[in-house]
Amino acid sequence: MKKTLALTAFLLGAALAGPANNSLVVGTSQEPPNIYDPWNTNNLAITSEINGYMGAGLTYQDDDGTTKADIATRVPTLGNGDYKVVKDSKGDVIRNSVTYTIRKDAKWSDGTPIKVADFQFWLKLENDDRVPVPDRDPWDRAKITVNDADTFTITFEPPYLFADQVSPGLAPSHIMSAAWNAFDAKTKNEKDAKVTNEEWKKFISSFTTARNLPKVVAGPFKPTAWRTGNSLTMTRNAAYWNQPKNPENYVQTVTYRFIPNTNTLKVNILSGQLDAVSAVGLTFDQGVDLSRNERNKYKTYFVPGAVWEHIDINARGQRAKDLDLDDPRMRQALLYAIDRDALTKALFQGKQAVSNSWIGPVSKLYKKDVNDYNLNVARARQLFAALGWTPGSDGVLQKAGKKLTLNFSTTAGNSTRERVQQILQAQWKAVGVQVNIQNYPASVIFGPDFLSKGESGKWDMAMYAWSNNPVFEEGNLWKSEGIPTAANGYSGQNNPGWKNTEYDKLYNQAKVEFNQADRIKLFDRMQAIWNTEVPALPLYFRVNVYTKVPGLVNYTFSAITQYPSWNAANIGWASKGAVEEYKQK
Amino acid sequence: MGTYALRRVIQMIPLLLVISLLIFALTALQPGDPVDQLVFGNSNITPDDIARLKAAYGLDQPWFTRYFFWLKQAITGNFGYSQDFGIPALEFVFQSRLPNTLLLTVPALIISTLIAVPLGIFSAVRQYSPLDYILTFFAFLAVSAPVFWVGALALYFFAIYLPQITGGALSLPPGGLGGDVPPEAGWWAVFADKLKYLLLPLMILMLREIAVTLRFMRANMLETLTQDYVRTARAKGLADRRVLYKHALRNAVTPIVTLLGLSIPGLFGGAVITETVFSWPGMGKAILDALVSKDFNVVMVCLMMLAILTVVFQLLTDLAYAVIDPRIRYS
Repeated sequence: MKKTLALTAFLLGAALAGPANNSLVVGTSQEPPNIYDPWNTNNLAITSEINGYMGAGLTYQDDDGTTKADIATRVPTLGNGDYKVVKDSKGDVIRNSVTYTIRKDAKWSDGTPIKVADFQFWLKLENDDRVPVPDRDPWDRAKITVNDADTFTITFEPPYLFADQVSPGLAPSHIMSAAWNAFDAKTKNEKDAKVTNEEWKKFISSFTTARNLPKVVAGPFKPTAWRTGNSLTMTRNAAYWNQPKNPENYVQTVTYRFIPNTNTLKVNILSGQLDAVSAVGLTFDQGVDLSRNERNKYKTYFVPGAVWEHIDINARGQRAKDLDLDDPRMRQALLYAIDRDALTKALFQGKQAVSNSWIGPVSKLYKKDVNDYNLNVARARQLFAALGWTPGSDGVLQKAGKKLTLNFSTTAGNSTRERVQQILQAQWKAVGVQVNIQNYPASVIFGPDFLSKGESGKWDMAMYAWSNNPVFEEGNLWKSEGIPTAANGYSGQNNPGWKNTEYDKLYNQAKVEFNQADRIKLFDRMQAIWNTEVPALPLYFRVNVYTKVPGLVNYTFSAITQYPSWNAANIGWASKGAVEEYKQK
Repeated sequence: MGTYALRRVIQMIPLLLVISLLIFALTALQPGDPVDQLVFGNSNITPDDIARLKAAYGLDQPWFTRYFFWLKQAITGNFGYSQDFGIPALEFVFQSRLPNTLLLTVPALIISTLIAVPLGIFSAVRQYSPLDYILTFFAFLAVSAPVFWVGALALYFFAIYLPQITGGALSLPPGGLGGDVPPEAGWWAVFADKLKYLLLPLMILMLREIAVTLRFMRANMLETLTQDYVRTARAKGLADRRVLYKHALRNAVTPIVTLLGLSIPGLFGGAVITETVFSWPGMGKAILDALVSKDFNVVMVCLMMLAILTVVFQLLTDLAYAVIDPRIRYS
């Protein structure tokens, strides 16, 4: 009898989570390299998502892009005088500053008050050459001035456009200072950067890994167990100040399950093992498939995102000149020749909207009334003809003995992109453009010798995606100084090599335009120019797919917040008394 | 034999050095590095940032300089940190991944050998009997069916279909490692929880192992049964059972030592597809992930460990032959 019971026990599908014990089990396809590293030396999406549960900032943005106070007592604005812009005699902004007052009840999870020193400690390390932060923008020009025990001012000189919308990091100086001082003493005169890096890893890994979980956190949840390759559990931090009313009604434990195979992740959803899926998890196809099998057990969401799929047109080098790829008319013709509406309907059920700009509709800078380049074969043929391309006996366009044959590359193994390629190849063939598909692994496409070396004619068209927070849009993807060349060490992101004097002028103006309404006007014109010249063929903005079971509230995100963890303190079960504050849009 | 073994061990040193050089070169010469991956996710990164990061990670040095730095450190037992997990690469492999792989593959090898060897003998002795046909058919099916497909079917059946038809009373978890039961619940509860998660991947892995060993054992046994000494033993009037188990079996089993000897390093390398399908965090998956994310130190630890195991187990297999087969001597 005992044996039978034991057998049944392990064969029983355990209901592991849900409202019963007021916990939440989230499935994800990635495991973070480390957690709660205040300097984000690993910037994977899953790290950002999980850090959202444990982190807190002076301010934060909600799903609609509204800035709210968290550690700070209020949001700095020009109106309340906490945000200041200083101009010189010519009227140019020379610096700007934001002043914050830390809430009296803001505490680390061990009960130690959060102090200005924690922000100063963070900034010192952020700008230390021995710390391998990916980039220091805008903190390399920031200075902290202490006004009183709880109030400090951050000054940006040169000024930073989004000073009132970013929150500096903070690190528990009372926990980390001693170890940092030891690191500092050990590596001060170290010549070998690799040795310094090993020491840095020793330092940071003693606060951020499965073996050494963060000692204290500032956010609504603190980590309690991390079994690498399996799961990470966090429990509610009672010391967090920004709790909802009756915090016991909200989720008390969050467990992230790492399920690297997305098909296995899907089976976990279907078998009811997960309450929700992370923003980093399912593919679009899996989302569509899951939406057909919901049976009221879970609901599938397709959240408009800020990841922009497009095709760069290589306008650099002799080959591009021979093929007229450096002429806007050729790029317009290529865009008119494809039916992007039909493509998104066929492949994505119309859930991924066609784009006509690199800026997404969720951004305040988005310009609606640009040319939409709907399929117009006649117009495409007209433009090809205007450039001297005429159909040959085999139907392929030719000019001066050369055929209009383009090499089209993307990341091999990405089935969605490969399907898009097939459709576009057929559509271009219909107007006489021969497209050869030449795909490479992502490591080659994004490696040092491919996209950035466009002038050598390694590619004609390359399909990939850019991701940018819509709040911090600067337009810098298309600045001509961002064209990667030998002279600038192949840095910069303007891979098509597009150069437009007026765009550059507007971009430089927008970079220092601190008035939002005026920036919008500048970006209107920048988008109009870009849309006319189409240095890249805009395809669509990707949606993020996730599922959650009914009754789970405030587990939402948008292209601005990006991860459901932005509102971690308020995630809960309606049946346990959690009040719904945000609905998924 | 002692001198022979010592000579072989000494020969391993230059061999392993060459292997380490090849692995390092092949890994380092792949296109892209961890910094390139950072660059493409970040439009704010500047040329100075890139240079600073490459210097910090030592990626600004030629690959052979980096190899000698690695070798110098490795000789002292320092295999560097995992770029992805921020812990020493050796610790990551030996504490986080290797135990999971052994938990899956060692029982799979032992149980499948214990099942397959008798079945192979039975199949050979009863050649062309209905059961031989059934076993042969099963073996072909198990060898031919792709693991990812059989795994997906098993997942669907045990994790979705079975709970549906039993109203949720019976099911197996759809992948993962378990660990839902806290240690306070007692060893049996912890063991049962682990077993629940282990069962599906173990079954799938065993299916193929059984099929391969069964086919191998059947073929060996059939060949042995046609040998002169077996015919002679039978002609002498020895009982069938004695001929079979005393004379034929010992010789037929000898090549299994080779099969097992070569399987053991593979065990440590893990069962990549099975681990991937069932999200089992083992060595195979670790090697794959480390190669994709250019986590060089983890790649080196994993592949060097496999190289060492392969040469060591080859030596042990050779020595085992001498013990099993009196005709083989290494003096």
